[in-house]
Amino acid sequence: MQSDNHKLFQQMIDETLASGTPLQEDRTLREHLQSCAVCEEYLNSSTRAIASLAGFSFAVDPMLHAKVSASLSRRAQQLEATPLSRRRWVFACIGAFVLTVAGTLFDLQFHSLIAAFFKVPGVHVQQGLLHFWIVSSLSPVLLFLLLPLLSRQKERAL
Amino acid sequence: MDSDTKQIAFGLRHRDVALLQSLVEQYQYRLVRYLIYLLGRRDGVDDLVQETWLRVLERGSSYDGCSRFEPWLFTVARNLAIDQTRKRRTFSLDSSDDEEWDAPAAPHTSNDPSPFTLAARTEDAERLALSMQTLDPVYREALVLRFQEDLSLQEISSVVAAPVSTVASRIYRGLATLRVQLEKGNHAI
Repeated sequence: MQSDNHKLFQQMIDETLASGTPLQEDRTLREHLQSCAVCEEYLNSSTRAIASLAGFSFAVDPMLHAKVSASLSRRAQQLEATPLSRRRWVFACIGAFVLTVAGTLFDLQFHSLIAAFFKVPGVHVQQGLLHFWIVSSLSPVLLFLLLPLLSRQKERAL
Repeated sequence: MDSDTKQIAFGLRHRDVALLQSLVEQYQYRLVRYLIYLLGRRDGVDDLVQETWLRVLERGSSYDGCSRFEPWLFTVARNLAIDQTRKRRTFSLDSSDDEEWDAPAAPHTSNDPSPFTLAARTEDAERLALSMQTLDPVYREALVLRFQEDLSLQEISSVVAAPVSTVASRIYRGLATLRVQLEKGNHAI
């Protein structure tokens, strides 16, 4: 019976210490501690165990702060630069895509007119437009589509 | 406190490097201590500290400033430590060489003194150093967060992603181990 009583109060001590509630706030516990040497000893050894944690003092590399600061500055610069260049790249690719579509339509609609104007075969005009306009504008679009795949491979290699 | 946390959240959202550097200075020791308690070793902790702050810079916008900064910071550090541990374990299992990789949950096995032995500055701390090293990391973590970092049970619960009752029972068990160790030391004297 007595031991059950101690267990109950020791559990209360544990709960009080874990929650950070001041012991004085619990009147029952406070009164019990005044009359029970076993539970008082339990509280003292618990408090001592907690206090002993403050007895560990870990050495920190004096250069750590400088290292972390430097890597933070570097990374912040990279993060600032990335969205801008990516945005530029997206705009360039949209432009290239528009040029590809426009070039293709132009080629389909007007190659015969151009051929007649310059007095050259229509096939040559089509080939010229294909090589110097459509293919050259299509390349950045395809590259843009491949970019996520390439960067993923690069990350894996790192 | 509320305005401080809001200020930190604002700075992190805008990737304010000056604010981050002041946070690094303010929390550096506490982060190192937390990671040592969590991992039970000293090596690799500095790298993790560095990675933690980089993660704070990159994902700082996820801190809303409605709660204290410390639990959020420790959560970031904890997740990175767990990731690193998993990677090490996977590497260890896959690797064909005999290189030894110490997992955080494993007790200190090398001949070098443990970080707790090296850090003990008082007689009681010296008595506890060995049991701190062998204590389950989840108990060690609960003890440091509650009694060194002064986090509430709810805050610890959010850091370790466990119910408050589990956190409380980890603290009781951790304290019980330390009490026994100190009593043994008394009897030895």
